[in-house]
Amino acid sequence: MHLDAFDLHQPTSVEEALALAQRHAGKFDFLAGGTDLLPNYKMHLNVRPHLISLDHVAELRAFRPEAGWLGATVRLRNLEGSSTLRRRYPGIAEAAEEIATPLVRASGTVGGNLLVETRCFFFNQSYPWRQALGFCLKADGDQCHVVPQKTRCYATFSGDLAPALMVLDAHAEIAGPGGRRRVAVADLYDPKGDGVRRTKLGPGELLVGVQIPPGAEHLKAKYSKLRVRPSFDFPELGVAVALEEKGGKVARLEIALGGLETYPRLMRAQTSPLVGERLTEERVKALSEDLVKAVRPVHNTFLAPDYRRKMTGVYVRRAIGALRSGS
Amino acid sequence: MPKKVPVRLRVNGEEHELHLPPQRILLDVLREELNLTGTKRGCDLGTCGCCTILVDGEPRLSCLMLAKLAEGHQLTTVEGISPAGALHPVQKAFIDLGATQCGFCTPGFIVTAVAFLRDHPGATRDEISRALSGNLCRCTGYVKILDAVEAAARTLAPAQER
Repeated sequence: MHLDAFDLHQPTSVEEALALAQRHAGKFDFLAGGTDLLPNYKMHLNVRPHLISLDHVAELRAFRPEAGWLGATVRLRNLEGSSTLRRRYPGIAEAAEEIATPLVRASGTVGGNLLVETRCFFFNQSYPWRQALGFCLKADGDQCHVVPQKTRCYATFSGDLAPALMVLDAHAEIAGPGGRRRVAVADLYDPKGDGVRRTKLGPGELLVGVQIPPGAEHLKAKYSKLRVRPSFDFPELGVAVALEEKGGKVARLEIALGGLETYPRLMRAQTSPLVGERLTEERVKALSEDLVKAVRPVHNTFLAPDYRRKMTGVYVRRAIGALRSGS
Repeated sequence: MPKKVPVRLRVNGEEHELHLPPQRILLDVLREELNLTGTKRGCDLGTCGCCTILVDGEPRLSCLMLAKLAEGHQLTTVEGISPAGALHPVQKAFIDLGATQCGFCTPGFIVTAVAFLRDHPGATRDEISRALSGNLCRCTGYVKILDAVEAAARTLAPAQER
């Protein structure tokens, strides 16, 4: 498969990358690991005439797991290979090692996984395939084939790191024309958007990295993933849990879910009533039932939506059980 | 005329100066410009691992790398895994144990296995199986491939411990 022609830019600093982004506003993509973008370009999915490679921007490669900092172009392989990261943030290491395959993780990056393109039966297809169907809302067309209407895309968020970072209250550092800002990873995604543009990143903004706050290393944390082939696939469901108990009662409980909807979600409405309570079997069961009711997967991945909803409850119960038993 | 940019690649220890459109993929350049056809094009989408090469010694998917972005790195294809006329222990084990059928995926498996065993001499079968999980084979059922890499691991372990 050949790529359409584009201009390739190789900035060496964040500032230079932002200047290029401004100059080619609306006509560029940032290129990091390329494991998501280049397959999409090969299938003529939303190609742009300019690619801004982030390979030579040293600042984005900074990896300081001892300080909770993960630069945007840190390779996923570095996350799974870091004993410091695994000791301090086991949920992130678990999420990283479950992404795709070792070969994809050798190229794929932290930022790429956080901002990974959403996936759908009707989107991740060749050009002739999509053309035969009259294209879709997410690329080249104006009609959603999953939930037939013309205003919102229902493609599924398929990153694994986002839920694992959300439960630790990690913040994304974003650089843009107006300077730098930090936003909680949980607020990086836009549930009110049209689903095509899924994040709150501005058009010329660049993700610099992620900061995990001090204290997060004391939380028990876990990430579990449901997928068809355990060595390979995108998530059909991703469950991240972080838990701290004091004196037999919940001091902190966070659950984030991915692989179900257009964006990953931190489920505070369901978990916060449990703070200060004993985590009895009945309460865990009721919590898992609340979560099953709160999620709305659609039929655009391999496994049926109803199965993914039911498994959400199962995975939450298993993850909490594993954290409490220390396994 | 499509725009071309100078691209300098170092492959198997040899320098190559090329002029290529910036969208050219490394795999295509290796095969079509440098005639290094040992590296195979399978899915072309990063799924199958047939196009695996070493970039600074690390296995990478050459179908998902722009040739221009491979500048400044040491590239090693299956042709450069062992000195001319000699076989790497992994290659020898593949032959001895019949770990190929159609052979199309073999270069990718060998390149991935060579790098993995270099860093993990004496790896267990389970570790090998995880390390090779990004390489797909549609013929063998993987048993003989794992047998071969395990045998190579046993050959390499004592040599690297010395």
